[in-house]
Amino acid sequence: MPLDTSTYSLGLLRVDGRRWNELRRIHAQIRTQAAADGSSYLEMGHTKVMCVVTGPTEPGPRRGGNVGSAGGAGAASGGQHKDAEVLVNIVIAGFSSVDRKRRGKGDKRTLEMQSTVANALAASLHIHLFPHSQITISLHVLSQDGSLLAALINAATLACVDAGIPMTDYVAACTAGSTSTYAANDESADPLLDLNHQEEQELPGLTVATLGETDRVAVLVCESRVQVSRLEGMLAVGVDGCKQVREILDRVVREKGRKMIQEGTVERGTGLNDMDVD
Amino acid sequence: MASQQHVLLSPAELAYLHDSLSLTPPLRPDGRSPTQYRPLSAETGILPGTNGSARICFADGTEAIVGVKAEVEKTRRKWDDDTIYDENKEETREEAEGAEGSSDWVELTVEIPGFRDDDSSTVFLAAMLSEALLADGGFVRRLVINRRFHWKVYLDILLISPPLSYPLPLLSLTTHLALLSTRLPRLKSEGDEDPFFDDDWAAAPYLYPRSSNKKVLARPPVTLLVMAVGNNIIFDPAKEELAVADVALAVSVGDVSSSSSSSSSEGEEDVDMTAEEQEGRKLRLLSIRTVDPPSRLTPPGVPNATNSAYGHAQVGEGGKTKQQMPEARAAESEAVEGVWKPPRGGAKALVMAALVQKTLQRGGVADEVFDALEGVDLG
Repeated sequence: MPLDTSTYSLGLLRVDGRRWNELRRIHAQIRTQAAADGSSYLEMGHTKVMCVVTGPTEPGPRRGGNVGSAGGAGAASGGQHKDAEVLVNIVIAGFSSVDRKRRGKGDKRTLEMQSTVANALAASLHIHLFPHSQITISLHVLSQDGSLLAALINAATLACVDAGIPMTDYVAACTAGSTSTYAANDESADPLLDLNHQEEQELPGLTVATLGETDRVAVLVCESRVQVSRLEGMLAVGVDGCKQVREILDRVVREKGRKMIQEGTVERGTGLNDMDVD
Repeated sequence: MASQQHVLLSPAELAYLHDSLSLTPPLRPDGRSPTQYRPLSAETGILPGTNGSARICFADGTEAIVGVKAEVEKTRRKWDDDTIYDENKEETREEAEGAEGSSDWVELTVEIPGFRDDDSSTVFLAAMLSEALLADGGFVRRLVINRRFHWKVYLDILLISPPLSYPLPLLSLTTHLALLSTRLPRLKSEGDEDPFFDDDWAAAPYLYPRSSNKKVLARPPVTLLVMAVGNNIIFDPAKEELAVADVALAVSVGDVSSSSSSSSSEGEEDVDMTAEEQEGRKLRLLSIRTVDPPSRLTPPGVPNATNSAYGHAQVGEGGKTKQQMPEARAAESEAVEGVWKPPRGGAKALVMAALVQKTLQRGGVADEVFDALEGVDLG
């Protein structure tokens, strides 16, 4: 079913009523799960993701050969790596999409997302501090409405923060697209921020993740055909969106930290004097 | 096969646990009474994209989410069914109710992160949970739309947390709540027509109908994990307790009223059930499965009498062969007080009988569990 994007040029409003540079509502929580080392819950619009981090732990017996992994030196088993190994496990629930579709563990798209998330986080986490160990990130997709990879990366970042694994900075991700698919419409094409499922089906789009407040791109995934002249605009909008996402993630972490200090769960550290706790 | 997990406990610790659990009354490591469940928090209707959903968090941090999705599917006709469908024929309710469901109308999958799809433990868990649901045919009878169509229900069970304890009770309770919150669109068509539904979700009736005061009239079955240590019967064991179990059983219990009032037809909400409410709950045993407890694979302790480190072992020609394999011999020897020995053999008949009785009696554990589940706000 083709999406009627032709109406965009009339009011400059997208199908869900947003303007070109608006994000959907992002709601996030950390420490949602008491039994895990780190956990988070993230909603980007109707895309809902839960993340549970275990580790760094001693590597256990490998279960299933199809987990995305990154870090460590080579593919040697038994955890004899100089760096910690980051294992990512994505479970896409059968009920997450509109029509129930069960994806097995060996699904190629899932595998690719697993290795993308694993590589992105392995580059940001200080895995060299934990030799011979592994960090397991389990991601559960409860509901899908576009920007799935971006939501997964954001949720994984939050859970790693909660787990207290030292990392360089937030890896914040976002999607960007372009309003029209054909070249003739080139001058009137607008870049779009944060695509939903409908837009993702119809329009060219890319997922971009940046490291913290910098413009350094950590992940760039583009799975659709796009005019090369539009790529720059899309990337610029995406990177800009990542900064907004980073702000939101940072706020969530600070909010939780403040609450934990107030409740007395954690000692107020010496370095926190600059943080106003009221 | 199912509950195998690494329990890092020494034989001495296992012996201590086993002894304290065999006392009367048993002393559990977390201070619960033998029939007490772990406290839990539950919520339903968390995912608007599903027909029904629920989430349960146990106090030990384990968490599960269940989502139910339903699709309309054409019923395969039986080979000997020669009835010609006549649209003009007035079909009575009784005929529609006589229709039998089939067990492949329900598809149940369990997802545990880090485990393969075809891992024996996940398959075994899914089989146990669907077995309870399909045992008396009451559930599939609810899925009949008319003689030509039925609902196909997909139950996806996700374990969110790492599997700290054997997740059977958690998954079963979550599935129970998800099914209770499941709603199917209201049927507008009549008889054997192609089904046509009301698109007003607020008018959608629950799969398990409720009375006017929002009380649930019938309930899906619940599977309880029960274990026996010595002569004591312990419900909802934690991981450490399961590591010293003599027998572990999965007992599925259903509410009898749920099968008698089954398929009370979509849309008909005010079913008169006051008589049954007054009588109290009639419980029925649906299935029992033995679960292979991890205690069978634990290493045995070596009694002092045969431990050469204590100087008690005979040194000489006679003792030489014995000393070569102290562990193997200890496993064969008689039980020594205070020395851990993995359980052998099956469940004692008396213990089994007591266990079933304790589960089913009025005011027993199953009754309590159903009472507690009634307390959950179903929104």
